[in-house]
Order: sequence, then structure tokens, then C-alpha cells
Amino acid sequence: MNAQQTGSPQITKETKNKIRVEFERTPLKERLKAKFINMAFVGGVIWYIVRFVLLLGISYIVLYPFFTQIAGSFMGRNDFVDVTVMLIPKDFSLDMYKFILLENQYFSAFGNTLLLSGSTALIQTFICCLIAYGLAKFKFKGSGLVFMAVIFTMVVPHQTIQYSMFMNFRYFDIFGIIKFLSGNATVGEIGFLNDILANINIFGAEPTSKFLKAVVEDGAFNLNNSYWPLIILSLTGLGFKNGLYVFMLRQFFMGVPNELEESAYIDGSGVGRTFLQIILPLSVPMMITVFLFAFSWQWTDDFYTTLFFTTNKTVLMPDVVDIPRSLETQYAGQNLYYSAIRNTCGLLIILPLVIMYLFCQNFLVQGIERSGLTAD
Amino acid sequence: MTNEMKLNTTVSEQKLKAPKKRRGSASLDKRKARSGYFFVLPFLVGFIAIYLPMIWDSIVYSFSHVTIVAGEGSVTEFVGWENYNEALFVNPDFIKTLVTGIKELAFDIPAIILFSLFMAVLLNQKMAGRAAFRAILFVPVIISTGLMESIASQNIMDDMGEEGIADGTEVSTASEIVSAIDIENLFAGMKVGTELVEYVVTMINNIYDIVNRSGVQMLIFLAGLQSISPAIYESCSIDGATGWETFWKITFPMISPMILVNAVYTIIDSFTTDQNTVMRFIDGIYTTTNGKEISSAMSWMYFLIVILIVAAVAGIASAFVFYQKKD
Repeated sequence: MNAQQTGSPQITKETKNKIRVEFERTPLKERLKAKFINMAFVGGVIWYIVRFVLLLGISYIVLYPFFTQIAGSFMGRNDFVDVTVMLIPKDFSLDMYKFILLENQYFSAFGNTLLLSGSTALIQTFICCLIAYGLAKFKFKGSGLVFMAVIFTMVVPHQTIQYSMFMNFRYFDIFGIIKFLSGNATVGEIGFLNDILANINIFGAEPTSKFLKAVVEDGAFNLNNSYWPLIILSLTGLGFKNGLYVFMLRQFFMGVPNELEESAYIDGSGVGRTFLQIILPLSVPMMITVFLFAFSWQWTDDFYTTLFFTTNKTVLMPDVVDIPRSLETQYAGQNLYYSAIRNTCGLLIILPLVIMYLFCQNFLVQGIERSGLTAD
Repeated sequence: MTNEMKLNTTVSEQKLKAPKKRRGSASLDKRKARSGYFFVLPFLVGFIAIYLPMIWDSIVYSFSHVTIVAGEGSVTEFVGWENYNEALFVNPDFIKTLVTGIKELAFDIPAIILFSLFMAVLLNQKMAGRAAFRAILFVPVIISTGLMESIASQNIMDDMGEEGIADGTEVSTASEIVSAIDIENLFAGMKVGTELVEYVVTMINNIYDIVNRSGVQMLIFLAGLQSISPAIYESCSIDGATGWETFWKITFPMISPMILVNAVYTIIDSFTTDQNTVMRFIDGIYTTTNGKEISSAMSWMYFLIVILIVAAVAGIASAFVFYQKKD
């Protein structure tokens, strides 16, 4: 900018006047012609229209399924056998919403999933920030290896380890520590664990006495049917797509100038404080992006929830997708009708996400743009 | 005088103290490096204590039969290559599914990358309603995952009102956006192979799927485009380059590292998604008797194949990737 201002040739008063005189001498028609009838302008207009139409079309492709789903969710039974009905319902009814909300335990699923997604997303965002910052700004022995490990966790499909994951949390026992501690103890003998284990109930594990009995029987914790497996996975940066978050955040932190931290160090702040007070406030848009991803991917997740929650005790979002008993019918339009009901369940599930997205989408683009992702 | 003396002594004391301190503890760089471990500690602990045992278990399971006995936990019995044998030679569909899955992958990667690059370039230009278009195009990233994907796969609502759909068993050709015949007519004059025509037709008919799956890639490309210095474009336009030339001479080389990243990400993403043919097949096996061990064996084989593909793609692509030199 500066160089341009100083380096540009000086425009003298005479040349300015000359230009003005020339401008005033040419008639308006000529001027308009020069401005609008040339290749650059016409090309620009055509490109503008083509681009706009293209984007409109693709937006339509993205949104069309939602239109049909929303339209279908307001239709009554008769509309599904009526050939003339396309998008606007003739037999308007709110039955689907009513019975899904009442009979599919939507509200308890909402509460449980909110607790689960909220806690895991918060933990994942923070932990991934920690890991990414450590990988981006510190060159310690084996940092390359750790990064490779992060990428490795991203590359291994979770189906590959789904059974061992299930077994691992069914008999949760790191390196046999718990088996060693409990030994052949009875419930009474390891009662000292009671106080600690009482807290586990917050996240929906078995009642303590039953839980302890299971511990003694198996020589390990049974963490399934609780939030613990997912929370432990999040705490260690192994949750769903956490490799991607670490990768994104690492790229972002690499773009943060070192001078910022250096000046913080000179002012006497330690590494931890620099991270918490300088780096984290800087990366709020990026963190919101990661939180948005983590939250919504956990919200609609049906892999971990069906893997770890084998009983129906904790109702989560996948349990909502069902045909309410009052709507079960047998008629010609049954398949379409059930499909519409499932779609309505889907709409109700994503409704909170859509609301959240409307508020956060600005941060999403901002965070990504500022990340200055580079591949090296 | 006295003041000066004091000053001198303090200075000399400090001078003496400073090197002593340095000798005692590690240098700043080393201390800083050490605190790096503190940041990655959660991951290290989890990786060593939870993830590696899980990977190991999974490999062990793929070589054994597992029975759950109450009171004793699980009993694993080593059976050698039996599960792999079962997957490869006894199961009639596995290899067939694997081949289709890899074919799909070969189709998906170029389609998704081309589309997301194109969209990112469009969305990077200044125009009215850019924010709205961006918001709409990123909707699938947030919403069309996991549960919603499985709901969408059972969805027959889109075809409503068309003939032959009411029972939901068959998909009519009328629901395709473009028919192959139209495209063939279009390409008749040009001498392009039928494979290309077929590819274009499939791509257009799968456009919804492609749009849905290219959200993250679009974001990565957008970020890459943002990091290209506007000064380069400015000098280009001064030299009289057209938009087309600028794209191929500037944007494309500068964005090529992102293409590599996206290619790898797309491969990984599309073979780990639940909608993948092979993954669905393995999921189906998981619920059968002894299926857990066989599905482990299958997914390890699949994993190895995909790792090879990733390595090959990354190896070939990295030869063409342009890295801007940083000084």
C-alpha cells in the first residue's frame, strides 16, 4: 500500500484538467457506449448471471430434500395416496409432530443427547486445542511421531475397531490395574470405592451397588450404557473425527505468529498461561467451528450411540427414529407414509442443529478462512 | 561514589549469577520443548493406554474366536487364518463388494474434488448473496451425517407423485435429472469415449450425493484460496492475464497442496462413512454369528488396501504439487 502511494506518478493539475475537458467534450451516449458495450463488461454480466444461476441451482439441490420433508411432515394420511398432491398438503395435519413428540420419548432423548453432545464437544474442543497447540508450536523429541499417530487414528475406520472398542469398555481395565486392586475382594472390601463411584451415576452408569457387584464378577468396569466411553474417548482426543480437528487446529496455530508468544514469555507468563490467555482468545472462531462440528456430528451420531448403548435405558436420538404406535396403519400409502414419519423424526432431530448453525455459520467461515490452512 | 560502587557491585553480581543459573537448568528452547509433552499428554496417554490395545485386540480378534463367559470376562481362542480364509474364500460376496467399493472410490474422488474446487472458486468471488450461498452449501456438513444419512437412505419421499414409486420398491428412471441419451446426443459430435459420457451422466445424477459429501473439502479449498496473496493476482491482471489464465497459472498451482490434502481426506472420509458399500457389508457381517471376528478380519484387509491407495495417491500427487517457497 505504502509503496504504491509513494511510487505512483504524480498527477499534475494540467493533466487533470485535460482529462476533465476531454470527458466533458464526449457526449453522454458515447461515454455510455464506451462503458457498457465492450467485451469485458458483457462477459462480466454473462459470468455474473451464469454464476448466480449455478449457485442457485446447487443451493436448490441442497435444500430440495428439506422442502419435501417439511412438506411431507404436514401431510395427513390421505395425501400419500392422492396423486395430485405434490408439495402442498391438502389434508393438513400435525399428527406426526404430535405423536413423535409424545410417544417417541423425544424430550428425554433431547435432554440426554444434549448432555452427551455438549459435554463431549466441549471436552473435544479443548483437548484438541491442547494437542494441536503442542504439535504446532513445540519441537520436542517424537513430535513428528505423535502427529503421525493422530493421523493414524483418523485413517483407521471406526468399524475396524468397533468390536474391540465394545469389549474394551465392556471390561474396562487399563493394564489390569483394577483386577489387581480388587483381586478376590467382596463388595464390602472394596466399599472404599463407593464415594468415588457414586459420582459415576451422573453420567448414567449402573447404580453403585449393582455396579460394584459387576466389577467384582468381571474384574473390570462395565462402562457400556453410560456416557463414560465417549467421555474417555474425548478426553484422550480419540473421539469421532478428532484427528481432523487436531489437523485443522494445528494448521491454525501454525499461522499464529511466534512473536505473540515470545512477547508473552518476555512479560513473564508461563507456557500454560500464554496458551490460556493469549492463544485461546485468538482462536475463538476456530474453536467455535470445531465445537460446531463436534457437537453436530455427535448429535446425529448413530455409530457410537448404538455401539455403547445396548439397552433402552438411556434414550438417545437414534431411538427417536421410529413409527409412533398411534400412527401405525395398513393401507396403500403405507410405505410413503412411514417414510414421511421417519423424515419428520429427522427434522425434529436436526431442528436444534439448524438453529445453532444459523447463529454460528458466520464463525464457521471466518474460522476456516483465518486458519490459513497449508499442506506443508 | 558510593552509589556508583553499589551499582557496579550489583551489576557484577548479576553477571555472575546469570551464567550459573543457565548452567544449572536446561536452555529455554529445551524447557519449552519439554512443555510440549504436557500439551500432547492427554493424547499420548489415550493412545498408549486405550487406542493401541484396541488396535491390538482388533488384530487378535481377527485371528480368533471370542466367547463371552459371565464371571470370567471374554475367552479368546486362537484360530489362525480361519477368519481371513472365511472372508476371502468362503464368503461369496466379500471380494465382489470390495471391488465395487474401490470402483466407487475411483469415481468419487475426482468428482468430489473437482466439484468442491469449482464451488470454492465460485464462493471465493465477490458477489451479492455470497454469505447466504456459503451458509446453504455448508448445511450438509453439519446436518447430513450419521443418523440423517441413514434416514435419507430410506427416504422415498423425493420420488413422490411419480409412477411406480408408490410401493417404494423400485426407483424410476424419470427421477434422474438428466438421462444418458441427452448427454450422448450432446457428445455425439465430439469424439469422446463412452466411458467419459457415462462418467458425466453418473456424476450429474449423483450430484446431491456429491454436494453432500464435499462440504469439508470446500472449506479446506476456501481456506487455501484465502491464503493466496492478492498481490499475485494484481500483478497478473497488470500483465494482462485473463481470468482463465490466472486460474491455471496462479490459482491451480497455489491450491495444489490443498488438492493433495483433499484427495487424502476424501479417500479416508468416503471409505470410513457408513454409507460406503464395503462398510455396510462389513456392518451386516458384524451381527451374524462369529461375524464380529470375521468383520474384524475383513475390515483389516480393507484398511490395508485403502492405506495402499492413500499412499499411492499421495505419492503420485505429491510429485505434481507446487509448494510456494517461504523465506
